[in-house]
Amino acid sequence: MAVEQKIAEVIETSNSEFLAECYDLDSVPALGSMVRTKGKGCQIYGIVYTSATHSIEPGRRIAARGKAAASEADVFKANPQLAKLLCSDFKVLVVGHSPDKAIYQYLPPSPASIYSFVYACSPVEVKQFTQSLNFLNLIIESRSTVAPDEVIAAFLRYASLTHPAPEEFLVKAGKELAWTLSNDIRRLDSILKRLQP
Amino acid sequence: MTENEKANVRLGTVIYGSLTQGVHVKLDPARSVEDVTVGRYVAIQGEKKRFFGMITDISLEAVDPRAMVMPPDISDPFIAKVVCGTTTYGKLSVLPMLTISGIAGDTEGPQPAKTVPPHFAGVELASQSDVEMVFGKEDKQRFYVGTPLDMETRICLDMEELVKRSNGVFGKSGTGKTFLTRLLLIGMLQKSRTTSLIFDMHNEYGWEGTSEKDHKVKGLKQLFPGKVAVFSLDEKYDQRRKVKSDFVVKIGYDEIEPEDMQMLRSVLNLTDLAVQAVYELARHFGDDKWLQSALDLFDSGDKEFASNHDIAESTWKNLLRGLRMLQRFKFLVPHAPENTVTTILEYISHGKSVVLQFGGYDDIAAYVLVANLLTRRIYDRYREMVDIATSADTKKPDQLVITIEEAHRFLSPEISSQTIFGKIAREMRKYNVTMLVIDQRPSGIDEEVMSQLGTKITCLLDNEKDVDTVLTGVSGKSELKAVLSKLESKQQALIFGHALPMPVVVKVREYGSADSYKELGPTSSGEKAHKTDGLDDLWG
Amino acid sequence: MTLDITQVYSQIEAMAGDLKSHQSDYAQKLELALTTLKSIPPQQDRLKKKIEDARATWLVAGLEEDVSLHRAAAPCPDDFVVAASDGSHIDVDRHQSTRLFLLNIGLVELQYGSKPDAELSSLPTLYFGDEMQAIRSRDGRQALIEGPLLGIKREVEECRSLADRVCCNETNLPVVGLVDGSLIMWGLVGKHYDDFVIEQLLDDGLIKQFGRFYELNRKRKAAIASYISFPRSTDVINSLRLQLCPRDPVDCDNEFCKGKFEGRECDAVGGLLDRTLFSSILADGERSAVFSSRSSIIERYGVHQVCFFYLKLDEEVARVEVPLWVADNKELLDLVHAVIVGQCHKGFGYPVSLSEAHEQAVVTGADRQQFWDLVDRVMQEGSLAVQHSLKQRSKKRKWL
Repeated sequence: MAVEQKIAEVIETSNSEFLAECYDLDSVPALGSMVRTKGKGCQIYGIVYTSATHSIEPGRRIAARGKAAASEADVFKANPQLAKLLCSDFKVLVVGHSPDKAIYQYLPPSPASIYSFVYACSPVEVKQFTQSLNFLNLIIESRSTVAPDEVIAAFLRYASLTHPAPEEFLVKAGKELAWTLSNDIRRLDSILKRLQP
Repeated sequence: MTENEKANVRLGTVIYGSLTQGVHVKLDPARSVEDVTVGRYVAIQGEKKRFFGMITDISLEAVDPRAMVMPPDISDPFIAKVVCGTTTYGKLSVLPMLTISGIAGDTEGPQPAKTVPPHFAGVELASQSDVEMVFGKEDKQRFYVGTPLDMETRICLDMEELVKRSNGVFGKSGTGKTFLTRLLLIGMLQKSRTTSLIFDMHNEYGWEGTSEKDHKVKGLKQLFPGKVAVFSLDEKYDQRRKVKSDFVVKIGYDEIEPEDMQMLRSVLNLTDLAVQAVYELARHFGDDKWLQSALDLFDSGDKEFASNHDIAESTWKNLLRGLRMLQRFKFLVPHAPENTVTTILEYISHGKSVVLQFGGYDDIAAYVLVANLLTRRIYDRYREMVDIATSADTKKPDQLVITIEEAHRFLSPEISSQTIFGKIAREMRKYNVTMLVIDQRPSGIDEEVMSQLGTKITCLLDNEKDVDTVLTGVSGKSELKAVLSKLESKQQALIFGHALPMPVVVKVREYGSADSYKELGPTSSGEKAHKTDGLDDLWG
Repeated sequence: MTLDITQVYSQIEAMAGDLKSHQSDYAQKLELALTTLKSIPPQQDRLKKKIEDARATWLVAGLEEDVSLHRAAAPCPDDFVVAASDGSHIDVDRHQSTRLFLLNIGLVELQYGSKPDAELSSLPTLYFGDEMQAIRSRDGRQALIEGPLLGIKREVEECRSLADRVCCNETNLPVVGLVDGSLIMWGLVGKHYDDFVIEQLLDDGLIKQFGRFYELNRKRKAAIASYISFPRSTDVINSLRLQLCPRDPVDCDNEFCKGKFEGRECDAVGGLLDRTLFSSILADGERSAVFSSRSSIIERYGVHQVCFFYLKLDEEVARVEVPLWVADNKELLDLVHAVIVGQCHKGFGYPVSLSEAHEQAVVTGADRQQFWDLVDRVMQEGSLAVQHSLKQRSKKRKWL
């Protein structure tokens, strides 16, 4: 197995979610992708629900700089400080943890440790995690994200590819959603429409 | 390995219900409503007990009623797949009928369900062992009649238990009543010490008969040559079929009694007055001479008797026409050389069952006359024997089962109280004689008689009245009604009553192929040898 | 009660009216100033001598180039480094129990060209104890660093950090070091600081840092410059006053002028600012002639004597100060000119490196509060008594 590449570091943490800052600008993991980090005595699994690139200083507006530049890359070339003044980070909903071999699809007893490294989960890990889909309601009911449906759909689309029968997996996941959203057919419908690649 | 043999095929979860209405089961998302059928057995695992029940209805439900009005976009097959079983789901109505031992070591056996399983109890397709627990395994008393729907398990009837009461086989024409009856008779021969007297109107039981598929199936005589005797009313028929009957039945005029005429009233189209005239004749000439005398009077054109006894011309003519019809039956002779009743009883007392073939006389009049006449006498003799045995405290004669077809002719409400069959049905097993009644119009049978039938085996019935009649007095009637009306037109039967702990729909076991005969012959080795000989004769 | 804005309103109106009335007067003055400036070059040496000889009350600019010169920036090299520093401080708070101050120096190093790179950092230093908080003479005298002296100390530290950073730069590229404000230690001018204070802050402080740049320039192109946005200086206008003065040698203490503030010949250009003058002369990106500062303190600067030019950027005129050795070196001067123009374009009118350095250095009110809270907490944890003045306490809570 290749040496794991850490992609970010936890800089804000709570039981249900954490914020991680990327080491490289613009190298945020995709929406809905699964990441792993460490908590007190356990691995914590989460799903990226939003990511952003912004000024490292709150309140400092980023100005457009490319009017005279030939390409977007030139903007950075002409303003080398930008790379240092901007940062990319992403927020992650915690969906499960694993104190030992077993994976529990509910919140860990304590939040992810601050400054703990964040790794992108491998397809094998995603497949393993998605053997059960109990965690979906953690996302559905999350108030943190404005678009939980997009997050779910993006995650499931990705996760389905790690399973030998993606279609079957999506149907199973869809049914799980249908249980939870049985009183909100519109929402269910819209998520389901997003599930198909 | 079929689905049913796998342990615990889960169907769903109990959501609500009652003992009287049955419990409702939400079908698991993974199960399609199309996978289940009405009539299938399910086991419900409660906390302390395991319930055994039957699916009586299947319905479609939605968690949110709005889903019905604004259904999700099911034109998308993916969404349709997802929504099925979740937002919308299938619901089963299950009638819990029995509790079967739920706790290890509980050997109580199946008991009628007196409560319902708790909320969210898991519902499974009944497994082979569940079904065996309920209906028992095939053994020396239990006869395998068929399999439950969609299952391979064998449903067995305790034949000794079955024959203790009168039973009925119903079903509209062409649904396999004869086929079933033949099976039951085989079962009795194989698994009980019962002897049978079969009034075989259409010559279907003794020798080979035709199955519905139009190929020949072996008769009782062929399967149990040593235990079955075929009596015939029609020698010519035997000759045509190239079989030799054990006994040719002749009935003397002197054996026909006025009561027999009363039974024939409707089939011979006799008026009440004509029947009264018969009694008049009998009083005058004696029970054994009245018919001969009457025929003589008709032959001689003597109307004196009639006028002397205030018998109207029209009545006399009515009676004349009726008696002339009887005269067409060649088995009626002025005086029979051997007493048929005695012969039959002799056979029966030797443990041989008797199939009385009507040969060419497949006339309802002949059938009613002969069946009634013989049964009454046999019953009287049997009663005598039983009474003697009871008082002397010796062994009672073996159970006798009399099989009659077109039972409504004998058991209609108007006459059932007067006929011997009504009597047998009502007096039940007191005298070790019971009936197997076969009919396609059970609504024509006296309700009281119906209620006395121990076990009813019914094929498809589509007349509402017939269905109601058959199910009178059964618990869960409305549920069973749904099941009954959904039976396939062939080879399926609903069995319920005394011999079974609960109603069961069976796919009747195969009968007619070479394989099937292996299991349908006699069970003891001696019999088997005998049987083989017989077969060689037959097929050689 | 807070500021009663309605009462202020009428006063603001009065002010606006007053300014308006002076407008035509102002235009007239500017016209004269321009004419005067243009009249100088043919006889510039005469003015130069007049300036040398003058006994003026004003700070007059020394003339180093043709005064009417305006020049566009030379092309900037492809690869170069800009370093900038800025600082802020938390001053000694008399109301706090502990006497201490904090300097926070923001440093930025930007590399342009084929291998763009950036380093941004801040360097906070806490000064505590007598050793760190005072300037001491060899004979035992000392001056506590606080208030204005702290500002001067900060200037020195900014420059020191900048020199440190630039000297560490491992490239061989031309480098320009930028600081905000003046290279002239105005804080020391006119105050009666003891000589040892001036010596340590200026001679052994600021000027020593200039020297490091000077040394560095022997190995690679290196310059130091300061950038003054929106300058209020009048050095050049004051030179025009001298030009206008009918007396030679000029002596402001003559019978006619003594004690007067207006009505003198030179007052015809009085009240104008240098930037106003150059705003009319310079085109976008152009610099003015180089002038030298003739402040009394400049005497101590030696080879690092401060020269300056004005630079027009969009609508603004800024003042750029460089040591003499930069001003005298055409290549260095062009480099400074070109780099600052480029920096200002990138920084929307203000050198981007300086603004980033400022961002690194800035200490907000919240930071300040947090700092003091932290000090208190740590002190308390160390079982050290914390005492606040009652005034401080009353500020913290608003009593009713």
